[in-house]
Amino acid sequence: MTSKNNHKIVDHLFRHQFGKMVAILSKIFGLSNLELIEDAVQDTFLKASIKWRDKLPENPEAWLMKAAKNRVIDIFRQINAEKKRQVKISHGTITLEINDFFLDHEVADSQLRMIFVACHPALSKKEQIAFALKAISGFSMKEIAAALLQNEETIKKRLVRARQKIKDLNITLDYPTRDEIQPRMSGVLQIIYLIFNEGFHSTKPDLLVSKDLCGEAIRLCKLLLLKENFRSGSLYALFALLCFHASRLDSKLINKEIIDLKHQDRSKWYLPLIVLGNDALRKSREFDDPSIYYIEAAIASEHVKAIDFKHTNWQRILTLYEEMYQIMPSDSILLSKANIYLQINQLKKAKTTLDQINRATLNQRGYLLNGCYSAYHEKCGDIQKALEELNFAIQGCSNLFEKQYLENKKNLLLTTL
Amino acid sequence: MKEFMMIFIGADYEELGLSPEKLQEQMGKWFSWGDKMQEQGILKGGAALVAKGKRVSGADRVESDGPFVESKELVGGYYTVAAHSFEEVMKIAEDYPDYDLGGSVEIREIIKFDK
Repeated sequence: MTSKNNHKIVDHLFRHQFGKMVAILSKIFGLSNLELIEDAVQDTFLKASIKWRDKLPENPEAWLMKAAKNRVIDIFRQINAEKKRQVKISHGTITLEINDFFLDHEVADSQLRMIFVACHPALSKKEQIAFALKAISGFSMKEIAAALLQNEETIKKRLVRARQKIKDLNITLDYPTRDEIQPRMSGVLQIIYLIFNEGFHSTKPDLLVSKDLCGEAIRLCKLLLLKENFRSGSLYALFALLCFHASRLDSKLINKEIIDLKHQDRSKWYLPLIVLGNDALRKSREFDDPSIYYIEAAIASEHVKAIDFKHTNWQRILTLYEEMYQIMPSDSILLSKANIYLQINQLKKAKTTLDQINRATLNQRGYLLNGCYSAYHEKCGDIQKALEELNFAIQGCSNLFEKQYLENKKNLLLTTL
Repeated sequence: MKEFMMIFIGADYEELGLSPEKLQEQMGKWFSWGDKMQEQGILKGGAALVAKGKRVSGADRVESDGPFVESKELVGGYYTVAAHSFEEVMKIAEDYPDYDLGGSVEIREIIKFDK
């Protein structure tokens, strides 16, 4: 055993390194060897997890990269041996060439290319998310299953299908062509947005906020922003939106109890993220591509700006929701609008808006409609009806924390009877 | 002061297919356990073992390739520690990181031969 060493490792180092290494190795060997590559990288971590117990290398990140590099050369030999071909390049040249792939900017570049692969239109949205979480973010099948509320078998199938499509269609790690970039970008942004939301509104029964997913989404956004020709108004706006939301992550859930916007301790909102968000929102205005993300970010910024719930600029938020509805009419926007009408006590307008909503389009978030109706009846003084709707909401809600929140509300209502 | 060996059985990470995140988490636990024993000055030695191996047996020296037991019975490594009693070592072994993964610790006293 060695003398005591400082065993500090960066959080999520393995997970993040996994994505990096897979990206680099895929660039070298081609995406058709993806499965082999993922296994090889996993192997490197296994070795590290045991080897490092005794003594942590001076620079763990460099150690992993080096181990992966050696693994690459191993695979090279293996593939060549299987094909019974002579290794064309001498060992020295391979090492030299491979070294180039491990330079910092090359690593970032490989990961960016991988994002575009994940968002290839040939993959379904569900396959895209699973693939992105696995290949870019280094989540295990089990972790993806837990995050997306699916069983492992389903996730496994999605990943197999995604890999198969990549093979069949001969999808490569090349960037899309110049005029293809922006349309593809919209798919990329959508995936990042979905990943974030999976984390932020996690329906996992025992965990409201899956912070890792949120963190990954932000990381991917940052990665894209590094590259000048990927920057756009919508990308900056999305980044702003994620920052604003993320700043509230720690005040949203306290002692396993969910705290609504009205009751959150605003002094606990994480200021550096808000500053970052404001900055990004400003930058997004320098571009001329308006987007839903921009409107959403603008709404979030209004909440962040307000000194307390009472001083929220509801009128401005209403206008923004209306703009949003013009671009993309949807029932969840109506629900948000109805909520605001309730806040500013325009009960009639709230009711008309609620009545326009088709519950089925809200899917598993349909219970929110009941919750909103309940609040409406409560404000009208009809406690019986309010309780009725609240009971429907409780029945339809699968998130334990949110359920508890609704139960608490119910108990409060019962005391007013 | 006596010496004891803690033998770690089962919880083969490869077999369990742990995610990168989980691997790092387990590793962190091994770190802090090792550091703790180091600080107390009781850690004498240790090693981790590769699962694959060879066996030579019988009068004919028959050679065979391992592993020879199921992964849940496989010895993955050991630590040797200085302690006064089994009770003390059992206390130390409470921090073994892999119980949740189906692993177990066997504690054996090391015989000290007269020099």
